[in-house]
Amino acid sequence: MIEYKTDKISYSYTKEDVIKNITLDFKPNTINVLIGLNGSGKTTLIKLLAGIFKPNNGQVQINGKDLCTYSYHERSKFISYVSQELNVGDDYLVEEYLSFGLMNTLKFYQSPTHKSITKVQNAASKFKIYDFLNKRMNELSGGEKQIVSICRAYIQDTEIMILDEPTSALDFKNQNLILNILKEVASVDKIIILSTHNPNHALYLDSNALLIDKGEIIKSGPASVVVKKEILNSVYGNNLKYSKELKYNEITIG
Amino acid sequence: MDLILKETRCTATMNKKRIIFYNSILLIVLVIAFVTALIVGRYHISLNTFFKILFGGANRFPVESSIIVNLRLPRTLIALFVGSALSLAGLVYQETFQNKLVSPDFLGVSGGASVGAALAIILGFSSMWLSGVAFIFGIGAMFLTITIAKIMRDHSPTILILSGIIVSSFMSATLSLLKYLAETESQLATITYWLMGSFEYSTMTDVYILAPIVVISSTILFSIRWRINIVAQGPNEAQTQGLNYKLYRYIIIILATLITASSVAFAGVIGWIGLIVPHIVRLFVGKNTKHTIPLVLSFGAIFMIVTDIFSRTFTGAEIPLTAITGFLGAPIFVLILLRKRRIIND
Repeated sequence: MIEYKTDKISYSYTKEDVIKNITLDFKPNTINVLIGLNGSGKTTLIKLLAGIFKPNNGQVQINGKDLCTYSYHERSKFISYVSQELNVGDDYLVEEYLSFGLMNTLKFYQSPTHKSITKVQNAASKFKIYDFLNKRMNELSGGEKQIVSICRAYIQDTEIMILDEPTSALDFKNQNLILNILKEVASVDKIIILSTHNPNHALYLDSNALLIDKGEIIKSGPASVVVKKEILNSVYGNNLKYSKELKYNEITIG
Repeated sequence: MDLILKETRCTATMNKKRIIFYNSILLIVLVIAFVTALIVGRYHISLNTFFKILFGGANRFPVESSIIVNLRLPRTLIALFVGSALSLAGLVYQETFQNKLVSPDFLGVSGGASVGAALAIILGFSSMWLSGVAFIFGIGAMFLTITIAKIMRDHSPTILILSGIIVSSFMSATLSLLKYLAETESQLATITYWLMGSFEYSTMTDVYILAPIVVISSTILFSIRWRINIVAQGPNEAQTQGLNYKLYRYIIIILATLITASSVAFAGVIGWIGLIVPHIVRLFVGKNTKHTIPLVLSFGAIFMIVTDIFSRTFTGAEIPLTAITGFLGAPIFVLILLRKRRIIND
């Protein structure tokens, strides 16, 4: 079973650290939800975890070895990543774009075969986008592109899936679809890490919630413990209003 | 759901059939254009005579066979390789730098080669040395562009494009100075003519040098053609999907520069082709480089051979290639834009 952790990682763009000394241990079969304000360091942490940024100090480790010492090919077998970017896929057909998720199974001169395209088509039906397969990416809405991006990462079929605000452009129906798929993926000994602006998602996913503020994890643990009015208030401010006291699967209005 | 999957598969098969169809058509047209280029010109050779020469009757038509073998064959082969090379370089640059307005000379290659050629002309070098110096200056300009981008410590495509503009401007200034220093009567005219591109002085020796460079570089790019799609997604996406982005980007830049610089060295600066051929091909088969690269190679060759036929057939003196590619390219580009903006339909 995969071991995935961070050991005192820090990162700075200029002088000041935006990620400060973060140590985390992610267990298989868990969904880890990062919540925090804009600019709190969520995306930076996600990029460090995905190996896009290299920590200035400390290490991200997979199976006891520094992530940076693995080749890109090896990393892509462990980690799939969905960026915040909604403007993806340019003029490619959705099917072509999804098939990029198969890259690490192919040799440098190969392209996806008919057999592997079946995997793409099955994933597309799971994400309810099979009708789009022959559409061009730039004909899709932002939300549709977001689902396609997540589906592409799903096709990559990795032990760890890292998603940066995967539901930011989705309607309620599709948020539900994606969160349910993520639950299902995690249930087969995989690790899911995602960031969100909706603390309810942490509750709904029955996740391990990580509350980040000014580059530090100030509270972590089961979502039912972390996503509490008094804890969130310390970050989001006391002027927040809740429709009700937070309970499982509730919608809040801030 | 099975039905839907079946339908999708049918569409995929249809796409595959369509692509095989386009490739076959272009190969047939390429053969026709190639043969036409050998028989058409100010001295017209009939198709009948051509086939007789082809099948061993060269002795009976000494003038015609000499025209074909010594004059038209080398220039048509050079046109074929240069057309394929510039179009391919244009396409892979556009994909790699995620910028559809990039042409093969944006890294300063043509600017550098022009300076090299002008210098060689002023110093009175022979034509083979001229090509050599142009090639070296072209490659040198590319390295200068990459070095400037590296100093900026920014790996984004925009910085490389800006560095290319800086180097091109510098080369253009140097070229102006060299033109000013050139002897007005002979050298300046030669420089100006060279800068507009021509196959007039192409020889089989040029073909023997250019062909291996273009064939080897294109074969490597052809073999990684599907992966160029992944490079086109940018560094973050490419790397998390398992691609060594930096390595692939350098392979692409070096190979595309190599074929651009060698093309410019042997044929002078030919504008437009590297910009519009990839756009035309994309209109038909979309963006997937697995499909566009083979088509760009054949369509680029056809475009260049036809341009060469125009350049030498209708007037007493040869029309410079860039003048023709410009006249063809500008309106075609307008049509492409109109089509893309759906102002006109198929």
